[in-house]
Amino acid sequence: MNNRARKDLFAKAVIYLSTFITVGMLIFIIGFIFKEGLSLISLDFLKRDYNSTTQYVTANKSNDNFKEPSNLSENSVFIPQYGIAVREGINEELEEVIVIDYIVKDSPVSKSFNAANNIFSIKKLDQIKKINSQDYNDINFEEAVQIIKNSNEIKLKVTRPGGGILPMIITTLELIALSLVIAIPIGVLASIYLVEYAKPGKLINIIRFATESLAGIPSIVYGLFGMIFFVKQLSVGESLLSGGLTLSILLLPTIIRTTEETLKTVPISYKEGSFGLGANRLQTLWRIILPNAVPGILVAVILSIGRIVGESAALLFTAGTFAKIPLGVKDSGATLTVRAYMEVKEYANVEMASAIGIVLIIIVLVLNVSMRIISRKLSKNNN
Amino acid sequence: MVSQEIIKKENKDVDNAILKENRKQTILDKLFHIVFLLCACMAVVAVFAITIFIFSKGLQPFIPGNEEGTYSFIKFITGLEWKPSQNIYGIGYMIIASIYATVGAIVIGVPIGILTAVFIAEIASPRIADIVRPMIELLAGIPSVLYGVFGFAVIVPFVRNYISPFQLGDSLLSVILILSIMILPTIISVSETAIRAVPKSYKEGAYGLGATKMEVIFRTILPAAKSGILAGVVLGIGRAIGETMAVILVAGNPESGIPRTIYDQVRLITNNIVLEQGYAEGLHEEMLFSTGVVLFLFIMIINIILNKIRSKVVEK
Repeated sequence: MNNRARKDLFAKAVIYLSTFITVGMLIFIIGFIFKEGLSLISLDFLKRDYNSTTQYVTANKSNDNFKEPSNLSENSVFIPQYGIAVREGINEELEEVIVIDYIVKDSPVSKSFNAANNIFSIKKLDQIKKINSQDYNDINFEEAVQIIKNSNEIKLKVTRPGGGILPMIITTLELIALSLVIAIPIGVLASIYLVEYAKPGKLINIIRFATESLAGIPSIVYGLFGMIFFVKQLSVGESLLSGGLTLSILLLPTIIRTTEETLKTVPISYKEGSFGLGANRLQTLWRIILPNAVPGILVAVILSIGRIVGESAALLFTAGTFAKIPLGVKDSGATLTVRAYMEVKEYANVEMASAIGIVLIIIVLVLNVSMRIISRKLSKNNN
Repeated sequence: MVSQEIIKKENKDVDNAILKENRKQTILDKLFHIVFLLCACMAVVAVFAITIFIFSKGLQPFIPGNEEGTYSFIKFITGLEWKPSQNIYGIGYMIIASIYATVGAIVIGVPIGILTAVFIAEIASPRIADIVRPMIELLAGIPSVLYGVFGFAVIVPFVRNYISPFQLGDSLLSVILILSIMILPTIISVSETAIRAVPKSYKEGAYGLGATKMEVIFRTILPAAKSGILAGVVLGIGRAIGETMAVILVAGNPESGIPRTIYDQVRLITNNIVLEQGYAEGLHEEMLFSTGVVLFLFIMIINIILNKIRSKVVEK
């Protein structure tokens, strides 16, 4: 082997090694996140509240007995008067509790009332600690079932177990909706101006410079700004609104750039045809240009969602870090990503963070795939 | 006669209606023009607002007579201790740590990134390239917090148990490793585009002169794609400097000390803001904005360099 061939082989080896490192790192990271978090993942994980909640609820006996379903597990006992099946169980504090195993449709417990007289529907897997002020510690399972069967009205201390990420999912979705509602119209209209209206000159240069600068600003600076401007100066407070407004600014460059690209690809002959038929500029815009730019706007939406889902530094001090369902746009809440950070930072809870991570990676995958589908369609249309 | 007059009158009415309609359209057009312009100016307004708010709050401590207290700018920039409880605010050691971390990430990440881009663009068959490329996209899409989680649970213990002579996992080395992975997607995608943009004739010419594939790649393609790759590198630097959430979980974030070895704990500029923003008040809060100003200046310099490179590419 001569010197040249050896050099070639070496170069090739280095290239393959680099690719191997890149791909290997990706597989390692994703494999790790899945390995750590998978044990937590279940439908309940997605559906449950983060914190467990305890309420006193009251339910009235039904006049007619409910029919026992055939698919009950061996351990559970069916109570026909209330249309529920219960079994013995253990809660997070390792205390014995009664667990709701099954609820018949139209069961009175799904229309029960809590102490504040609001409807509180008991759900499957809710835990009962007290029945008619009788502590479950003092009686056994059979006695408890008898008490429920014999009462015309039952008062239960119900604990709904937490450990889920429902609040974060809701917060993330609301934040996505809010930011897109603000940022997409502004971004799309801005790119229409840049492509269809603006004449070359100082103004357009300034706008372009501003957009590029926005794209380069790190998200922590957005977070600082959002906190000082929206949270404090406008006294919106730490809330979805502050977070959404901050994110809208952060998203502008992406939306403008992506929409601009597609607007530019609308063939000039379409416009000329429209003008030739006597349409004016606005009509051409609404009827010809925008419909043709829809896939591009869709790409902008997907990119924006990806950015929002992955964002944390800009939201930490604008939208909040607590795992709770926001009660409105003026209320705060943590997104999935923010919560994943808090879990590690505060409790070193890698398992929880990884479980959230699995959800995030799946979202990113779905976004990437839908993006591929759209852009494939786009390039087909263009050809 | 009468009917002709009626026709004339009708024509006039139609003309008037068209005129009216046209005028309406023109007004509408102008109105929308203004709406579009306003939207386009939002970006400018946002940049202005961000700059003004960060700078006005961040520069206040250095202006004599500030109500929250003043601090010497020189001491702030060169200080090697950050102890808010004792009113000591120096970020010199953070600036140095940030620069070290970025340089380290570039040294590791850039060669790997460029070579991976070469693999995708020049060596891999289209089918393999189609497998690798979505993987790079996924790598780009993973939220930075998850890199932090990975670093916290894998890299930090690894460095602590097998590499560090001080048995310390939170370190500059961990930061560099995490950042190197994180800048990969940026560098790969930009470099790949640059490599693909190299005219085919260059390659053909080189092959015609008897060069091997590797010689073509390293002597012809990469030099020709230099500016594009450089843009990718600068973008990578931007990402590395601005990165916060991943780094914060693996850095250790000490209150003082220039890192002397890669095994030392570090606190980066970005970390400083996130760590204390939650509870800082008064002068302390303003000093965090001052930290933001320094970060802002770093990013601005990077953007200016990036623009210079881009305009050079355009000139070519």
